[in-house]
Amino acid sequence: MDSVAARALEREHPDLVPLIRTGWGYYGTVAGLLALIVLGGYTYIRQWIEGLAITGMNVPVSWGLYIVNFVFFVGLSAGGILVAALAHAVGVERLKPIGRVAELGAISCLILAAIFVFLDLGRPDRWYHLLLYARFQSPLIWDFAIVAIYLAIAMALGYFSTRADLVRCMEALPRRRALYRLLCLGYVDVSPPALARDRRTLKVLAVASIPAAVLLHSITAWLFGLLKAHPGWHSALLAPLFIVSASVSGLAMVIVALVVARRFLRVAVQDDVIHDLGRVLVLAIPVLGYFLFAEMLTVLYAGEPAPLSVFQEMMFGRYAPIFWFNLMLGLLLPILLLWRPPRWAVATVGIPAVLLLSLVPYQLQLAIPTPLGRFFPYVLGIFLPAWMEYTLIGLLTIVLPLLLLAGPRLRTVDRIGCAAGLVVLGVLAERANIVLPPLLKTLLPYPAGSYTPTTPELLIVLGAYSIGGLAFVLLAKLFPLVEAHPAAEG
Amino acid sequence: MPRWGMVIDLDKCTACQACTVACKVENNEPIAGPDGSRRGRDIVWMQLLSVVEGEYPKLRARFIPRPCMHCDQPPCVQVCPVGATYKRPDGLVAQDYDRCIGCRYCMVACPYGARAFNWGTPQFQATAYLNPDRITSRNGGREGPAVRSAGVVEKCTFCAHRLERARARAKAEAREVQDGDYVTACAQTCTGGAIRFGDLDDPKSEVHHLSRDKRAFRLLEELGTHPRVIYLAEG
Repeated sequence: MDSVAARALEREHPDLVPLIRTGWGYYGTVAGLLALIVLGGYTYIRQWIEGLAITGMNVPVSWGLYIVNFVFFVGLSAGGILVAALAHAVGVERLKPIGRVAELGAISCLILAAIFVFLDLGRPDRWYHLLLYARFQSPLIWDFAIVAIYLAIAMALGYFSTRADLVRCMEALPRRRALYRLLCLGYVDVSPPALARDRRTLKVLAVASIPAAVLLHSITAWLFGLLKAHPGWHSALLAPLFIVSASVSGLAMVIVALVVARRFLRVAVQDDVIHDLGRVLVLAIPVLGYFLFAEMLTVLYAGEPAPLSVFQEMMFGRYAPIFWFNLMLGLLLPILLLWRPPRWAVATVGIPAVLLLSLVPYQLQLAIPTPLGRFFPYVLGIFLPAWMEYTLIGLLTIVLPLLLLAGPRLRTVDRIGCAAGLVVLGVLAERANIVLPPLLKTLLPYPAGSYTPTTPELLIVLGAYSIGGLAFVLLAKLFPLVEAHPAAEG
Repeated sequence: MPRWGMVIDLDKCTACQACTVACKVENNEPIAGPDGSRRGRDIVWMQLLSVVEGEYPKLRARFIPRPCMHCDQPPCVQVCPVGATYKRPDGLVAQDYDRCIGCRYCMVACPYGARAFNWGTPQFQATAYLNPDRITSRNGGREGPAVRSAGVVEKCTFCAHRLERARARAKAEAREVQDGDYVTACAQTCTGGAIRFGDLDDPKSEVHHLSRDKRAFRLLEELGTHPRVIYLAEG
């Protein structure tokens, strides 16, 4: 674009400038993502030819990372609906501008979820059997149907909240005119009555999306929760737990997307909006913690051998690092980061608190295994008593990050972004712990199962992630991710 | 119509695993090789479970041969999204290799671990005998001993191809198929005579009597799957 036109654009539509002005960092990111997609695609072709043998899945762990990621991305898609429901159905005006990012996130997450199910199929060439021979007794078919419905709603929400801006882009960027007209599906009427109609449609869609979202996450939980074959899944709490963790992770994902868009894609996101979302997040995380606690207490107190063995594996066994990561770095640290206690308080209260908590199992003489000794037997573990290990871990994972991140150097928005990112990773860990440890345990006396993802499997997962990342950065160049004129002058 | 079922007397079982081998040969079950076996990719329709109970020196080993239970309320059939696994009119739980999409939901749902998956293309020893028997599913797909492709689930069929032949013989004699017309390969080969097979509903049949024995129990009965394999506890 020549400089005269560019200057005109800067004057009239400052929010559209990032669409045409692109730095080297952006091209680098796109190239990197493309490379990962090609690598993942190549590995997937290998999987297509050689079969799932190239993954780490086996009997009894016949579902692995693919299904974990499917569940994870279905959960992340909740963010779109949450923000849309708040903005359009409840009418929180402040959230309306970011509704679009949330919707785009939801759409990409659902597409990624569908991709992960496809990756998991042993006979992907027969995927159409799911349409031709669908059996409605199978929760997988319920899931298939609700993902399709929800995707349609999310796409409609995205369309109606973006249409007005697309028309504006059509006029401001004449070179891409045909593309924008196509994205508008030819409906380019931006007269006030048409926009009012859009708003009404958005409201109806946002209201309709709420029961759809509840169903979506419940059904995804029921994929596991309705089965009695493995201990640890057959719980009525699983569906509500999925709704809560989906909402928490979805909200966190929206925050991460906003912070990334603001920092790296120079999208004008209001600080207030991110602060607001951070406030909602800090209220939502304890709810998730409560659900996890209720589920754990029920199993641990009853002490039935089979579910107990699953929880032992999860808390103190091979899945312990994932479990404690989820609890400490995925729930506790983000709360503290969002809340931001002053540094002196962290130092004076945090360090003694960690010390005291570490001494509790020691005092109660609980036989809790020592993590460092277990996982790094020749480094530190054998020299340190258990309570010192707990202290060390507590200081390193909670107190030190707080002292580093809660300082005045880091901008509030970035701090919220960090916390949200940790929450997203924590929920990924939680998903792994919901899917994998129960699969290890069988009701009949089979030899103990194990599961280690292989490199090809990880490459395929990474490739799929990159598809989502690429979609995000490309869409950021297609239209403004954030509405410039909130609520379309409503 | 006979209600085909199996009774396994654990007192008579010597854990020789002849049933496992006979089943593998009869049903063209591929071999996983040492590496695949280590990675949990064995395909064994009739598997011997071993449990060691107690502490030294008071140890007791239990051996439980485990075929598919052919449940009357099969969880695998419930969850299959495409109807690749289904309950036949005669009550056997069948698996259609041409319908299966390889989602492995049935494997996750089966509490008995009776289902195996073809992680890669099935491998056989170069000199292996392959059973040429073929049966077709209700959808017209391949079932039974037919060699599978990569990416589909398979399981014990109660030797449904043998039933097919027995049915043809009975038809030639202008009668219905009945107890004693056929047994599964594992029952035929069982060295200790521990595995008995027949019509559970026929009051004159051996399995009917054995199934009413006071030692009789079923695996994971409490799950409500109503298995058709009945065990006789060690007495």
